[in-house]
Amino acid sequence: MARIKLERISMRFGDFYAVRDISLDINNGEYVTILGPSGCGKTTLIKVISGIWRPTEGKVYVDGMDVTDIPMEDRDVGYVFQNIALFPHMSLKENVAYSPRVKDQGDEAMESLSTEYLELVGMLARAGMFPDELSGGEQQKVAIARALASGSKMLMLDEPLSALDARVRVELRYELRRLVKKLGITVLHVTHDQEEAMSVSDRIVLMRYGAIAEVGTPLEIYRRPKSVFAANFIGETNLLECTVSDKSKNGKTKLKLRGGEEIRASKTDFKVGDPVVISVRPEHVYTATDGLEAEVTAVVFMGTYWRVRTTAASRDFVEYNVSSDDEVPSIGDRVHLVFNKKAIVVFERPRGGIEGEIKLE
Amino acid sequence: MDGAPVSFLKRVDELSGSSKVRRSWFAFACAVFIIVIVVPSIFVVTKLFTDWGLVDSVINNDGIRDTVLSAVANSFSIALVVTVIDIVVGLPMAWIMVRKDFKGKKWLDTLLDMPLAFPTAVLGISVVMFWGAPEGVELPGLGIVVSPYVMMIFLHILFTYPYMVRSLSAILEQIEPNFETAAMTLGASKWTAFRTITLPLFRAGLATGFILCFARSLSETGGTYIALTMMGVESTFFTGPSFISWLKSDTSVYSADEMMGAQILISVIMIVLALLLLVVVRKAIAGFHIPLKKVWPDLGRKLSRGPLPKAKDVLTIAFLLVVVLLPAFYIFMYLTQPIPDIDYGVLLGSIATSFLVAGVAVAVDIVIGVPMAMYIARHRDGKLGQTLDGLVNVPLIIPTTALGFSLALFWGGFGLSESFALLLVILGHISFTYPLVVRNLIGAIEEVDPAYEEVAMTLGAKPFQAFRKVLFPIVKSAVIAGGILAFTRSLGETGATTAISNTVNTVPIYITKLVQSGDYTEAAMCSIVLIAICFVIMLVLRLVTSRRSGRDA
Ligand SMILES: Nc1ncnc2c1ncn2[C@@H]1O[C@H](COP(=O)(O)OP(=O)(O)OP(=O)(O)O)[C@@H](O)[C@H]1O
Ligand SMILES: [Mg+2]
Repeated sequence: MARIKLERISMRFGDFYAVRDISLDINNGEYVTILGPSGCGKTTLIKVISGIWRPTEGKVYVDGMDVTDIPMEDRDVGYVFQNIALFPHMSLKENVAYSPRVKDQGDEAMESLSTEYLELVGMLARAGMFPDELSGGEQQKVAIARALASGSKMLMLDEPLSALDARVRVELRYELRRLVKKLGITVLHVTHDQEEAMSVSDRIVLMRYGAIAEVGTPLEIYRRPKSVFAANFIGETNLLECTVSDKSKNGKTKLKLRGGEEIRASKTDFKVGDPVVISVRPEHVYTATDGLEAEVTAVVFMGTYWRVRTTAASRDFVEYNVSSDDEVPSIGDRVHLVFNKKAIVVFERPRGGIEGEIKLE
Repeated sequence: MDGAPVSFLKRVDELSGSSKVRRSWFAFACAVFIIVIVVPSIFVVTKLFTDWGLVDSVINNDGIRDTVLSAVANSFSIALVVTVIDIVVGLPMAWIMVRKDFKGKKWLDTLLDMPLAFPTAVLGISVVMFWGAPEGVELPGLGIVVSPYVMMIFLHILFTYPYMVRSLSAILEQIEPNFETAAMTLGASKWTAFRTITLPLFRAGLATGFILCFARSLSETGGTYIALTMMGVESTFFTGPSFISWLKSDTSVYSADEMMGAQILISVIMIVLALLLLVVVRKAIAGFHIPLKKVWPDLGRKLSRGPLPKAKDVLTIAFLLVVVLLPAFYIFMYLTQPIPDIDYGVLLGSIATSFLVAGVAVAVDIVIGVPMAMYIARHRDGKLGQTLDGLVNVPLIIPTTALGFSLALFWGGFGLSESFALLLVILGHISFTYPLVVRNLIGAIEEVDPAYEEVAMTLGAKPFQAFRKVLFPIVKSAVIAGGILAFTRSLGETGATTAISNTVNTVPIYITKLVQSGDYTEAAMCSIVLIAICFVIMLVLRLVTSRRSGRDA
């Protein structure tokens, strides 16, 4: 059992808040990824949760118990470092058996636990080797085995897959999820990779400037992001500046682009005249005989589809996808674009403009 | 005239393009190293065969033999005790320096190195004054009566402890702090994490520190002899080097043959044991595994928490203050005394001699040390590279008194004796400072990716040009650091100088003579003047180099 509750956690270095006023509940056995631009405090947050740092303000509870002042060696939290940090002078087996050893659980426990977890990550055959004899991916697996062998029910992963090549990364992430789900472990997984976050997590915590920007299941955040920042950071999207031009009785909203073109969206709470931004993902943009006029500026082959980049008459950049089997327009072609009305998300237009809002630092 | 140096450099650039020239340059540096440094340093061993009669007569003379043996035994046991203390107290200090952040850390860092900048002769005076109450000294000391053996341990800690802390911190800095954190998240207490992770990763640094400190203690002459003289026991309590000094200072006790035989015997024993030690310690520490797999979590926890770690830190700092810094700086108390008449002519003359010797020695070290260091750093895997790497340490390990004695015998064989005394002293100082410069350089060059130079050469630079423009600027700070180390070491050296010549009057020799004649106040004032000059030079060097690197960056 490991239910984590953060209550108004802040971590201050001098005058600088690396993490500011974060409250969060994480369920037993949940797989949560922490996503956010570099320097937004992801590492700081999991270091605080695992007891490596003591928060300057706020409390950490595990299963209802206040553990804020419990030192890290008694926290029982597995932690996998970004730079792996396998002990170089120990064989893989000794590495994995380290936790049972320092807890003085006896030789049998050391033997059986190290065997079990090395087996689990498929590295048992190499148990006698030393870390510098392994590839980055293999080292990463052993690091995970080492953290799991501590028997802890919480696991913190700090960008554990970022050093690996794309293929291994994808394989390892599903394996990891399968493993921890089988063991019923609560996981906080820090990542830069939004695709990774989307494909493995039960819930995504999106951070920014040391605070939580948004929390939700991958589907919620992808389909109904609550901010321009989230819409842009998670998944790809087109952002267009508009003004609310008309509202029907049942709330259905009409918007005007900068060039005066009209777009229909579903129900919103905005009033006529409000400055807004709409987000519409490339897969929800289609070509038609009529609609927003745009000029094709680039066509990029993405493997399973083509990505077509255009500049619309409204001076917005709009991208859309074309199935890889279909015909694609050539550069300079004029196309007409329409948006899937249901997939349009409307936001209040940020004061600092779109650029300021999606800035990544 | 103006163009001359440029065209000279150009000439060298051109010449360095030929591999023949490069190879002969390296061969030259190698030859100088072997002929001028290694062979003379251990030449005395051959005397065992050519002059066995002298040695034999000493061995058969119970009185002098026992003195010689007890002197050597004292040397080794003092060195061992001192080194062990250094490790025990140096480890937590290194820990504080590397892993902790606190106000005043910069200060502590600078203070730590200061005793290294003092000539050991000065430290000898200062320590005896601080702990004991030697006759003829006006200043109040702690007045503790300790045996000469214990006093030697106090003294030797002063100039070995900084070496130990430096070697240990250098290694600690390279050990990922994440290793310890990882261990702790896996349930290890701080203490257990240290014992099972950091300590085993530490071995290389431990070996270097051990050898450096041991050799330094074994070798030290000036401070030891002065301290013993001030305690009035210089003719009853000996270490190997102090025995040789004493023989030189009082020629009435033994016959010339007995003296020669005794010096040969001491030198050979110390050289052989020191070299053996070098090999044994390397092997032992490299092969040493902490035998205990078992971990006691509760004990570890007790050691990691509560008052114990605090007490450890406090004790460590207290040790530094009370055992190292206060005794070292105690000599400045003389500034409170009326200023005595100093023979400034002689003092300045001896300072000039000291600087001449140190300056020439360091310059030569750098010129012949650079090609050697480059070769060793780039050919670590080769046989020759490894052999040279080992040989470079030899003069560092050999007690300088034995080294000086051996060197004088060697060149004496070529008819170079008293009239060339200054030259011989310089050669001697080159020998024991050379390793300091080369070691520092090897370390720095190894850090530099050879690709830099290669890239420069693919862009058409000649090898010497590439070195001048690319490698040298990068390793410059290492050259300077090594140079400063070598310079101060030479400035403070007594043993080798006395062993080589009776006439060359460097500052430590002058100070020793003053102490011998009981002029403590004068000796102290001279020491203070010397320290002041050293500090000014180091300060200027530091300013100049830091400003430069600041601009470069
Ligand atoms: N020990 C420290 N002292 C001072 N500032 C720190 C410290 N550790 C982190 N910070 C600052 O806190 C902020 C957040 O750091 P953190 O490492 O948590 O970022 P992150 O989100 O993990 O970034 P990345 O994705 O690049 O790893 C950064 O601005 C960093 O400079
Ligand atoms: Mg991070």
